[in-house]
Amino acid sequence: MNLDKVISGFFIILAMTINFGFFYGDMDSLETHSKYELMAAIIINLIATTLKLGDKTQMGSVLLATSLVADIQLIVAATIWAIAHYAFVVDKEIVAIIISLSGGAFLANLISVILYVGDTLKSKR
Amino acid sequence: MKNSSLFIILQRMRKPFLVITITYTIAIIGFLIIQGVDNEGNPYQLTIFDAFYFVTYTASTIGFGELPFEFTYAQRIWASMSIYITVLGWFYGIGTLVSLLQDKIFLREIEKAKFKRQIKNLKDKFIIILGYNQITNEIINRALEQGLRTVVIEKDENKANELILENFTPTVPVLVADVHSSHALKEAGVKKINCKGLVSIFEQDTLNLRIALTSKLLNKNIKLAIKSTTTNHTENLKDLDVEIIANPFSIISSEISMALNAPNLLKLEKWIYKLDNLSAKVPVFPSGKYIICGYGRMGHHIYEKFKEHDVEAHFVEIKKNKVEAFIVGEKLTITKGNADDKDVLLKVGVLEATAIISATNNDTTNLSILATAKKLNPKIMTIVRENEMDDFSIFKSAKIDHIFMMSRILINKTTNALISPLSDKFIRMCSKKDEQWGAMLVKDLISKIDENPLLMELKIDKKNAPEIFNALENSNEIKLELFSRSLYNREQNNNVMPLLLKRGGKSYLLPSGDELININDEILFACDENGKNEIEYISENLYEFHYAYTGEERRTIFFRK
Repeated sequence: MNLDKVISGFFIILAMTINFGFFYGDMDSLETHSKYELMAAIIINLIATTLKLGDKTQMGSVLLATSLVADIQLIVAATIWAIAHYAFVVDKEIVAIIISLSGGAFLANLISVILYVGDTLKSKR
Repeated sequence: MKNSSLFIILQRMRKPFLVITITYTIAIIGFLIIQGVDNEGNPYQLTIFDAFYFVTYTASTIGFGELPFEFTYAQRIWASMSIYITVLGWFYGIGTLVSLLQDKIFLREIEKAKFKRQIKNLKDKFIIILGYNQITNEIINRALEQGLRTVVIEKDENKANELILENFTPTVPVLVADVHSSHALKEAGVKKINCKGLVSIFEQDTLNLRIALTSKLLNKNIKLAIKSTTTNHTENLKDLDVEIIANPFSIISSEISMALNAPNLLKLEKWIYKLDNLSAKVPVFPSGKYIICGYGRMGHHIYEKFKEHDVEAHFVEIKKNKVEAFIVGEKLTITKGNADDKDVLLKVGVLEATAIISATNNDTTNLSILATAKKLNPKIMTIVRENEMDDFSIFKSAKIDHIFMMSRILINKTTNALISPLSDKFIRMCSKKDEQWGAMLVKDLISKIDENPLLMELKIDKKNAPEIFNALENSNEIKLELFSRSLYNREQNNNVMPLLLKRGGKSYLLPSGDELININDEILFACDENGKNEIEYISENLYEFHYAYTGEERRTIFFRK
């Protein structure tokens, strides 16, 4: 057992699951989507990204790329939410944008988990 | 992955990033949990954005104050705690970044990236020079003079800095790396199509051989100039198809042979190497008895040559094993002893000797031997081997008759062979001729041109001589004498003499003016400044070529054929 693998695997999978938790629910209202969950998703995703930094292998680079995609989508979603909340009105369109952005981030997380699992299965140690 | 400096940053910054993320999270979550009050005293829960905003400006020590409402005591306690953890996190991150900028490995990576960029953008022809010292410095200067760019790989960082301080124009990219690693050679552009050659003239023959092997494997079309001081290594290099093998001792031995037999050939060689002009004193070794101090690599070559030319010589050597390896010949003898000793010199007959050659690998010893000899016999001719380039001025003021400069020989040989290959070929072909031929050529050159003619190489191809190339394409016949026609009056001749014609794999010495030119011929001319100019005009300018070829002015507007 490799502690490094445990930690990075933990965060990669946690990023996906929390993101799914935020994404799951009605597509047109924010009542079933908690902002705290979005915050947690962003933080966990950032940590997962940091853990992947500096890995020079092919797999490491692809994992980093998917993580960066998820980060950007989630941060953009949070920014839009904050701007709309304080400066404008959170209408249906904004809600749709926020949720679909997190949906996109979820896909990126999913890819990253699939790659991670695949890499782990391939490994002989 | 190519860009390793970026990866070094990412790898080192991993921990600081993690610390910052975690400390922020802790602080933000605290503010989200703790309840505050607004201006009217109603309970107010900070939103995520409020908390993020407060932590952001507090952690970076900007401190806008308590926003959006004044904090309660519970919030203030949490704020003071979070300041400690977040500010520390920030400082840790910044500190790591700063220490990274001072990190040797990181800086070297950045230098390397810069070097790679320079090589990538290098579009001119260039040569790679391994190791930077006074000798290679001179080679760089000569190459740049001829419009050839250079790239240097040097192991020692201080020496690389010295090179940077030299401020060569155009710049000479330098890479600090092991010279024999294939990686460094690749980065220096061995595989690039415009890399024309590689120079390796280190002291150690084995290192030179290793470099030759590596670079030949990386790019077999590259021209190598490699130093070798023993026959064994020379053979190995020949097996690798190394084009230019610079063996200073064998060059010296051929020079000695010329000085004994055909001093005019040596004079020609010195003229081509720009050491002397053609009217200088003939560098001749008189006949008589010679004393040679030192029987090392150079002594060995002298022995061979003296044996060949039947010269009486007496060797003096201090090391026992070298004395034992000596084969005593009819006129060749050896004495074991210190040549710097007055008694030893007297014993070997310095009083009746015509010349003394001081051939040890120590400059001080060499000078001291000659000083002693000169004192004992003021009429003796002094010949010396100079090892270090730094000592040049001392040797010059010591009034020695003939100096064999190891470093200068190397510079001349390598630069000539790399930058002007035809004149190198010319020297090699000349050395097989005899004294009479040499004397005739020297006389011819002085009478036809002047005492210090310029050398010019011309290749008949589309790039260097477009007009000649086009005319030959249209199946015109052009004679070599076309180049010596004066553009003021084609009936008269310029001061131009073709020295060598290279066609296919063969070279012809002193081709006649009636020789017909082919495409891809390479010609070496001796000429004066004016002649050089007009050769360039004839080969590149439409009108001038037409005049020189037909004797008519070319008409471009009316009566055009």
